Amino acid sequence: MATNDKKTKGVLVDLTRCIGCRGCQVACKSWNERSVTPTAVSGSFTNPKQLNADTYTHIRFVENEKDGAPVWSFVKDQCMHCKEPACASACPVGALKKTASGAVTYTFEKCIGCRYCMLACPFYIPKYEWSKVLPWVQKCTFCSERLGEDKQPACVKVCPTGTMFFGNLDDVNGEAEKRIKQNPGKYVNHIYGKEEAGGTSWIYLSAVPFDALGFNMKVMRVKHPDLTWNYISKIPAVVGLVLTAGAVTWAITRRMNAEKGDKS
Amino acid sequence: MTNHWIDFKNADVILVMGANPASNHPIAMKWVMRAKEKGAKLIVVDPRFTQTASKADLFAPMRSGTDIAFLGGMIKYILDNNLYFKDYVVNYTNAPFLVNADFKGPGELNGLFSGYDEKARKYDKKTWGYQMGEDGMPKKDPTLKSPNCAFQLLKKQYSRYTLDKVSSITGTPKDKLEAVYKLYGSTGKRDKAGTELYAMGWTQHSVGTQNIRAMAIIQLLLGNIGIAGGGINALRGESNVQGSTDQGLLFHLLPGYNATPSASLKDLNAYIEKFTPKTKDPKSVNWLSNRAKYITSYLKAIYGAKATKENDFGFAWLPKIDEGQNASWLMLFDKMFKGQFEGFFAWGQNPACSGANANKTRAALGKLKWMVNVNLFDNETASFWKGPGMNPKDIQTEVFMLPCASSIEKEGSITNSSRLAQWRYKAIEPIGQSKPDAEIMNELFLKVRELYKKGGKFPEPILNLTWNYGKKINIHDVAKEINGYYLEDVYDKKATPPKLLGKKGELCASFVHLQADGTTSCGNWLFSQSYTQKEGKVINMMARRGKTDPTGLGLFPEWAWCWPVNRKVIYNRASVDMNGDPWDQKRPLLKWDAVKEDPVSKKPGVWVGDVPDGPAPPMAKDPGKYPFIMMAEGKGALYGPGLNDGPFPEHYEALECPLEESLMSKQRINPTIKIFGEKEDAFYSCDMRYPYVATTYRVTEHWQTGVMSRHTPWLLEMQPQQFVEMSRELAADKGIKGGDRVKVKSGRGEIFAVAVVTSRFKPFKIGGQTVHQVGMPWCFGWQYPNDPKAGDSANLLTPTVGDANTMIPESKAFMVNVEKA
Amino acid sequence: MKSHSEIKMWTPSTVLFVLLIALGGIVIAYRLLYGLGAATNLNDRFPWGLWIGIDVLGGVAMAAGGFLIAGAVYILNWKKYKPIVRPAILNAFFGYALAATAIMFDIGLPHRIWHPVVMWQIGSVMWVVAIHVVLYTTTLATESSPMVFEKFKMRGALRAVEKIMVPIVLFGILLSVLHQSSLGAVYLITPGKLSHLWYNSSLPTLFLISAIMMGLSMVSLESIISGRAFGHAPDKDILSGLARGVLITTVVYLLAKISFLATGPGIGAAFAGTMEANMYLLEMAVSVLLPLALLAMKSTLESESRLLLVNILVVVGVLINRMNVSIFGVYRDQAATGMSYFPSFMEFIVTLSFISMAVVGFKISVKYFRVLPDPKA
Ligand SMILES: Nc1nc2c(c(=O)[nH]1)N[C@H]1C(S)=C(S)[C@@H](COP(=O)(O)OP(=O)(O)OC[C@H]3O[C@@H](n4cnc5c(=O)[nH]c(N)nc54)[C@H](O)[C@@H]3O)O[C@H]1N2
Ligand SMILES: Nc1nc2c(c(=O)[nH]1)N[C@H]1C(S)=C(S)[C@@H](COP(=O)(O)OP(=O)(O)OC[C@H]3O[C@@H](n4cnc5c(=O)[nH]c(N)nc54)[C@H](O)[C@@H]3O)O[C@H]1N2
Ligand code: SF4
Ligand code: SF4
Ligand code: SF4
Ligand code: SF4
Ligand code: SF4
Ligand SMILES: [Mo]
Repeated sequence: MATNDKKTKGVLVDLTRCIGCRGCQVACKSWNERSVTPTAVSGSFTNPKQLNADTYTHIRFVENEKDGAPVWSFVKDQCMHCKEPACASACPVGALKKTASGAVTYTFEKCIGCRYCMLACPFYIPKYEWSKVLPWVQKCTFCSERLGEDKQPACVKVCPTGTMFFGNLDDVNGEAEKRIKQNPGKYVNHIYGKEEAGGTSWIYLSAVPFDALGFNMKVMRVKHPDLTWNYISKIPAVVGLVLTAGAVTWAITRRMNAEKGDKS
Repeated sequence: MTNHWIDFKNADVILVMGANPASNHPIAMKWVMRAKEKGAKLIVVDPRFTQTASKADLFAPMRSGTDIAFLGGMIKYILDNNLYFKDYVVNYTNAPFLVNADFKGPGELNGLFSGYDEKARKYDKKTWGYQMGEDGMPKKDPTLKSPNCAFQLLKKQYSRYTLDKVSSITGTPKDKLEAVYKLYGSTGKRDKAGTELYAMGWTQHSVGTQNIRAMAIIQLLLGNIGIAGGGINALRGESNVQGSTDQGLLFHLLPGYNATPSASLKDLNAYIEKFTPKTKDPKSVNWLSNRAKYITSYLKAIYGAKATKENDFGFAWLPKIDEGQNASWLMLFDKMFKGQFEGFFAWGQNPACSGANANKTRAALGKLKWMVNVNLFDNETASFWKGPGMNPKDIQTEVFMLPCASSIEKEGSITNSSRLAQWRYKAIEPIGQSKPDAEIMNELFLKVRELYKKGGKFPEPILNLTWNYGKKINIHDVAKEINGYYLEDVYDKKATPPKLLGKKGELCASFVHLQADGTTSCGNWLFSQSYTQKEGKVINMMARRGKTDPTGLGLFPEWAWCWPVNRKVIYNRASVDMNGDPWDQKRPLLKWDAVKEDPVSKKPGVWVGDVPDGPAPPMAKDPGKYPFIMMAEGKGALYGPGLNDGPFPEHYEALECPLEESLMSKQRINPTIKIFGEKEDAFYSCDMRYPYVATTYRVTEHWQTGVMSRHTPWLLEMQPQQFVEMSRELAADKGIKGGDRVKVKSGRGEIFAVAVVTSRFKPFKIGGQTVHQVGMPWCFGWQYPNDPKAGDSANLLTPTVGDANTMIPESKAFMVNVEKA
Repeated sequence: MKSHSEIKMWTPSTVLFVLLIALGGIVIAYRLLYGLGAATNLNDRFPWGLWIGIDVLGGVAMAAGGFLIAGAVYILNWKKYKPIVRPAILNAFFGYALAATAIMFDIGLPHRIWHPVVMWQIGSVMWVVAIHVVLYTTTLATESSPMVFEKFKMRGALRAVEKIMVPIVLFGILLSVLHQSSLGAVYLITPGKLSHLWYNSSLPTLFLISAIMMGLSMVSLESIISGRAFGHAPDKDILSGLARGVLITTVVYLLAKISFLATGPGIGAAFAGTMEANMYLLEMAVSVLLPLALLAMKSTLESESRLLLVNILVVVGVLINRMNVSIFGVYRDQAATGMSYFPSFMEFIVTLSFISMAVVGFKISVKYFRVLPDPKA
């Protein structure tokens, strides 16, 4: 599962460049042949309001104010393609996998539909086809077929402002550090995804603090698979302990009972 | 556009005022972002905080319809603080020109210029002219001190636009005004470039043309015209709107911006006489002195061999308008509404939703006998008779639908805002029975000609037309005809011995070769060179896809082709000083090399860099020429007597505004706009029933009236419903919450919308009182989605009034009420 | 006193249970034909609901009595509990059957339920859980098999099974320990989602302890109820023994809960007045505090009806705990997006139907097999 940052791909989403045109949102639907859900206008222009089985990515329009003046941010959400994905570690059948390209991909043919991946993902990414009789888990694929053909993801390709910097994860991380260093005061000093969930392949830079943009700040900065692996790795010891203790107990109590004259 | 899309990246300061490129021109916004990455500053001035504003270094809110006040204040600030580029102003603009001593401005005449005729709502421009010298040239004062020189008049005009006054009119806080003025004014240095991007936020006003004039004045003062990273740049709309304007879409223009002749012009000579500007100044190129060549070549193109010297090249067959006739959109629909014509081709448009005062427009369609809708789809116009409030039984209009192929189903050129004509190819065959527009026109023409052959009132214009594009039109033939041919062997007679310019039957090399004697044909002189011939080889310049950028300024001279003669920045000779040295050494478009030999004349002295505005040496050399070659006087016009509503822009309120009186002068509205008088045209200014300023605009997700985008589920999913944006303050007043359904009402109609309550709108303080503004998109229509919550066109609200020069409807500033539904 | 074969099958309550089972069958059919979205109120923010919370987590916890009693009898050789070993194991079997069936229809693609058996993912807790369900259900079936062999007089098989009973029971204990704790481990990957009132790294241990509590209570509860239902007075000695077991585990559990609360979000968090905090208090009151208060009274151990109350409290309390972990503990986080979850009536019907199935199954077993010791003459 461990990946090589020099070879796997990653994307830096520099939110200071996003103009909210939603070209990426349409490009994703187009490339991935996704359908639509009924929507309505509410206080903001975000639509669909949440990612769903037909919407792998969307732009969230976030309004804040600073010194009485409006600050309007456009935040692209999609799978973070964690370096050590919680979803993949959770999957009981290996339907979700971190692949060599960096993409976390899904194989429907294996999936049993337990939806533990949905519970496990700290970023709430996998979505379910609730209305289908044979439902898929759906999420951004990192356009893995495109990566396979040495093409950029559809959303990256279509973006007019270069909001997304695509490349080898190493370079992507380096670029993020460089931009912070070379533009003092422009960005908040935090690369979201650098440490969250143990590091992700899609990372973010922003001028507005991430919590004000609705980023999940509760995500622990640990490799999520470790959280459960800590438990699983103890199983052999437990097995040994229980069997030995049980056998010994049985032997002792049997003898004791026999001594008491029990006939069994 | 004076410049081009990519050129935005060369600017130091970008002022976006009257446009929202992040939403409406996202691909262009890329170049704005490029500039920003290199350290440029972005200023956005808009009634609301837009997506573009979200990327701005400086945002200033401004009440709709008050741009001239805002910009007038900027002119004053630049003059007061000596931020203007003096060498440029003195040498390259008409600042030193002396104006008629009787000329009076709005400061003296209560908001009017001298010569106003109240009855006719028109100016007699007698007093607006220059004082002429003995030599037949305007008198000048290079010291700019004379009280009659254009510079001093400019100063006088805008001395009234104080920060306090401007702020009380626009509602922009004074500190914001000053910050904008200061930052933009910083580009008045020789090595600084400032560009301005505008679109419908400026044009759709009763003072639209003057909005742009005001900025032109600022750009000339700052020396920002003709340079890389400068200019005044209209972000044009529909993908080929530039092309269609170039090719004579407007009623008053023939292809190539030759005026449409009026009936009073007896013959070609009279036409040429009227439309050929004159100058006695030997340093002025006065390019339009070539008018005779262009109109004659045009006549040869359309009437071919039938056009002879003897019959005035068929001038008589050209369609004419009546003297002073205005046949613009609002006028057409007004006439239609009054039952004054029978039939109408709605060709690639959706007036039932796009036209101002849509209720009137829709009613007008019902007065027709027949209508032909040439479109990709059925739309609100084709089906107007079953729209809301219509009783199909009462409507006699017979509607024909001609299905049309979309842009990807046909070949041809399109010309974008950069004046760049690019060839496009057919990707798929037209679906079903649909046909490319040109094929429909072809069939239509051939049929009409057949009928005329059997007789008709005035058959010559039809029967004499050259129309040989084949039964199934060959679009390349059309493009070649536009480029033009040598009809004879054409010689340069000035050279000794005369030099052969082009062989008979070949495609013209450029408009420089066009002749007034009927030996060349050209459908549009600006496009001469677009489809040309070199050493016998035919080259479609528009199909070129070269990616070299030798200057690094993003000119890409081998990518497609732009008019004029592939010059990307027009008036580029203003980018150098009087000796031909670039003002800005970092971004040189041109440089005069006095030593290098000119390959044509074989004499030393040649321009290097981009295609220059003519080969003549710079102004200070002999025989040097002024840079503004399209102006008769060769100078940039600080003072512009050509427009209907004054030689300088003056602030007037929109026809519908929240004020009883203008805070600038006694003259509330533009004195030269046409006032329509029907009940349907009613306007309500400063009326308690309609207390809020409203504007309309676009969203990225929808295209225009939405016919092409509302049916696209992915787009509709993102923007599913008509909405109206308003400030938290107004919403609180009205008890409206985000997501509530509200009714927006004007004196002409009402629509339902979903409220979007946002801090991106803020109430304005205007003349001491609080004025609220709301805004909404106009991309919806009753037909689809078939859901009452999706809404109908915002044009049900807009007024019937247009700009004093162009008649573009005032859909950016009018008055409404908003109520919870 | 009636012999078991005289137990009346069609009592009114049984009729109701059977009706519920039938209704459940219809709903399941509907769910299979139209999908989870049509039958449940589950959504992208609440991928797991009532079926996982009650049927799976609850069902498994209820089944803990099986391994405990089997362990007591076969490993510790506490012969006193021999009379209840069969009902306890059978009860566990039905608990697991309940959980397995619920999983079967809760997963989106039931026809692939076997996938984990061949597609090994040892890094996945869910896989561990799945494998345990398979293995332990088999184990329980084996443990219960003697009564079948008895009934059908398959002496050879009976002898064979009885010979290997001790290792099988030992294996069952192992699986149970792992399984009960691994259900807690499932939630280890939800830091930040599950409220810190419940989330901590010792979730597996807490699940195990609470399952023991509940398992013992369940066995006791079921002895009392079946005693009443089938006219078979339960052994006072056994009941008080079980109650002592409940008392000890409850004390341990209480201490563990308090220490995790104190070292985690702080004791104050339980009194924050929020929905989660209140649910936490409710859970603690029902599962631990009230039972302890009752058990603290000597007289409780003597009173069957008091013990009944204690058992019900513990069972319900631990069920609340499972619901808290699976639904209420993540509610605030998940609902932040505006999505909410309340089970659909179909979800309720299926849950009731599964429980009915367990009850009816148990009854049938009692009627036709020698689950309970023969009534003493
Ligand atoms: N996605 C998309 N793109 C489009 C189009 C489309 O329909 N959809 N249409 C195309 C066409 S045809 C055109 S013409 C262009 C138009 O392009 P734009 O002019 O950018 O379009 P608008 O959104 O109509 O108006 C621009 C801005 O003007 C502001 N505004 C309103 N009143 C005033 C005012 O009085 N002064 C100033 N300074 N600003 C004001 C509005 O708030 C709005 O933000 O867009 C083209 N691009
Ligand atoms: N309130 C308000 N009103 C406005 C504006 C505003 O800002 N506010 N903006 C104005 C502006 S700038 C403009 S440009 C106008 C636009 O006004 P319209 O041009 O009337 O509106 P569109 O929706 O662009 O209509 C174009 C039609 O052409 C069809 N079409 C597309 N491709 C082809 C083709 O290849 N051939 C043919 N024959 N048809 C085709 C489309 O289906 C569509 O029905 O609206 C104006 N109206
Ligand atoms: S973001 Fe979620 S779905 Fe995506 S890889 Fe990480 S854990 Fe998996
Ligand atoms: S729902 Fe499918 S992909 Fe997700 S964890 Fe379960 S089996 Fe794996
Ligand atoms: S990488 Fe591909 S799948 Fe993921 S958001 Fe971008 S376009 Fe969609
Ligand atoms: S395409 Fe680029 S600029 Fe447009 S919304 Fe997506 S990320 Fe932002
Ligand atoms: S719609 Fe076409 S023309 Fe307009 S910005 Fe996008 S790519 Fe450019
Ligand atoms: Mo337009």
